Amino acid sequence: MHDVIVIGAGVAGLACARGLSEAGRQVLVVERSRGVGGRCATRRVDGQPVDLGPMFLHGDDPAFLAAVDRVPGAMEDWPRLIDGVGAPCQPEALQAHQRRIVFAAGLSAFPKHLAEGLQVQLSTTVAGVDVVDHTLRVRTADGTVLEANDVVVALPVEQSLQLLVDLAETVSGTDGQHDARQVAGACALLRMFGSVPCLTLVAGYDVDGPPLPWDVQYPADSECLQLIAHDSTKRASPAARVLVLQGRPRWSRQRLELPAESWGAELLAEAASRLGPWAASPRFTWPHRWRLARVERGTELRQPLRLTLSGGQRVGVAGEVFAPGGGVQAAWLSGMRLAERLLKEPG
Amino acid sequence: MKPADPNLLGLVARDHDHECQGFGAAKVCVRIVAVAQLPTRFGDFQIVAFLNNRDQKDHIAIVHGDVVGHSDVPTRLHSECLTGDVMGSLRCDCRDQLEAALQRIAQEPRGVVLYMRQEGRGIGLANKVRAYALQDAGMDTVEANLALGFRDDERDYAVAAHMIHSLGLQSVQLMTNNPGKVGQLEQHGVKVSARLPHLLPANPHNRFYLETKGKRSGHYIDFSGLPRLQEQSDEVRVEGMPDDG
Repeated sequence: MHDVIVIGAGVAGLACARGLSEAGRQVLVVERSRGVGGRCATRRVDGQPVDLGPMFLHGDDPAFLAAVDRVPGAMEDWPRLIDGVGAPCQPEALQAHQRRIVFAAGLSAFPKHLAEGLQVQLSTTVAGVDVVDHTLRVRTADGTVLEANDVVVALPVEQSLQLLVDLAETVSGTDGQHDARQVAGACALLRMFGSVPCLTLVAGYDVDGPPLPWDVQYPADSECLQLIAHDSTKRASPAARVLVLQGRPRWSRQRLELPAESWGAELLAEAASRLGPWAASPRFTWPHRWRLARVERGTELRQPLRLTLSGGQRVGVAGEVFAPGGGVQAAWLSGMRLAERLLKEPG
Repeated sequence: MKPADPNLLGLVARDHDHECQGFGAAKVCVRIVAVAQLPTRFGDFQIVAFLNNRDQKDHIAIVHGDVVGHSDVPTRLHSECLTGDVMGSLRCDCRDQLEAALQRIAQEPRGVVLYMRQEGRGIGLANKVRAYALQDAGMDTVEANLALGFRDDERDYAVAAHMIHSLGLQSVQLMTNNPGKVGQLEQHGVKVSARLPHLLPANPHNRFYLETKGKRSGHYIDFSGLPRLQEQSDEVRVEGMPDDG
């Protein structure tokens, strides 16, 4: 029996787990993949770290920035040079009052730092959450049942919704009207949100290519490209010039089920049309399909959800949707605020 | 039209370089940037525009009579409600409450309506429409509405307190049915000399308050069948309504 089980070791889940853990709660984080960080992801491609999700951390919240500042190896003020007048994923990312930060080891340094000292069980897929005899149970895909007083769901909004829909079925039979209404209300709320996909291609070139006078380019006139990031300018002595090409939401949606060679070639052709023919022939590539990359901006909630079931067990929901501003900062804030609520408001 | 009250106009000059620690947790500081006459269908007022240091959102005060330096000024806090105030929505009573407040201060020697632009902030309006959608689906729960958070009372009180201070009101008679509001303002250093019940005149449009005794979690059901939301942190009272304590 755990005090709290947190489902999802992304930034929101880790921030929440850390907040609870530092207050003395016994917390278990379960995570489907083999590493922490969720979409705040870095992968070694051809021996060099490359950021696959957000290209940089940005924010203006003092608590969030303080948490980022505790991570060693930060490089302040990246991107320094920006080209193009297209919009970044978070429109305020480039505003003067926000700080922009990357890590030489990759952005996953931030979630990895958050996870230090936490009990995180990796490679564990959650099949469902239910209530049996006034105890919240987290059932994993391999048949294990974990029990907790409180459960925090910190997944992309569609996946959080799925778990709540399953939970709704189990509470309606047991604890009657109140619980069913709570969970159904939360489901109705989460159904108002949707994530957008982002097809992402890492492309590596020789370091001595033609000069690129920017760190990120945001094309305003491309149907295909949201941005081109010059990822290797984040690294101390890169062995390769690495570009990260990220597709626009609609363009990505239309190609989500196509083979990576197909949409990868389109992204490279578009990059070459902007940068020159050299960009069409990378030395190596790595495709990544973000099916649930982020929520469209400007529609976030004010705070995380905290449902209290009639037996006193609590179910919290956190994630980028649950704090104004979106992105990594909102994910972190939602997790922290949920931890604060769970600590402050007994069930 | 004549220029506005010189005492109010003087506040614009005074506030050019105003800067302070700010009020409330969000440390909001507002300054008066413009004052003008505002004749309305409810009476002749002056409008005072405030800018704040956080999001450059402009709040306003509607002023009747001489208020600068005065005590016991009847004052009403109204939170912006685009759907009610402007569109005449019957999902809330905001317009009734605003009209009653304006009519009331127009009849008094002096009075102020502080109009808090909460919906202009961030994501308030879209989330309010979402709250209505949840109501339509019969799914409005306290928790969902908290998450939607389209009201931010704590901040409104802090900003209102600063505005009262900026206008030079020595003390206010707060027009509210909610005694809790008095304490909230006093926490921010406002002297509240009295609480005036905020009664709406009885008319066909607020018939449902008189007819509906049942009240569930702050919502009334109006005669058109839609749940009505309590958006002004103030229980509505209509003249002639039985006082059920």
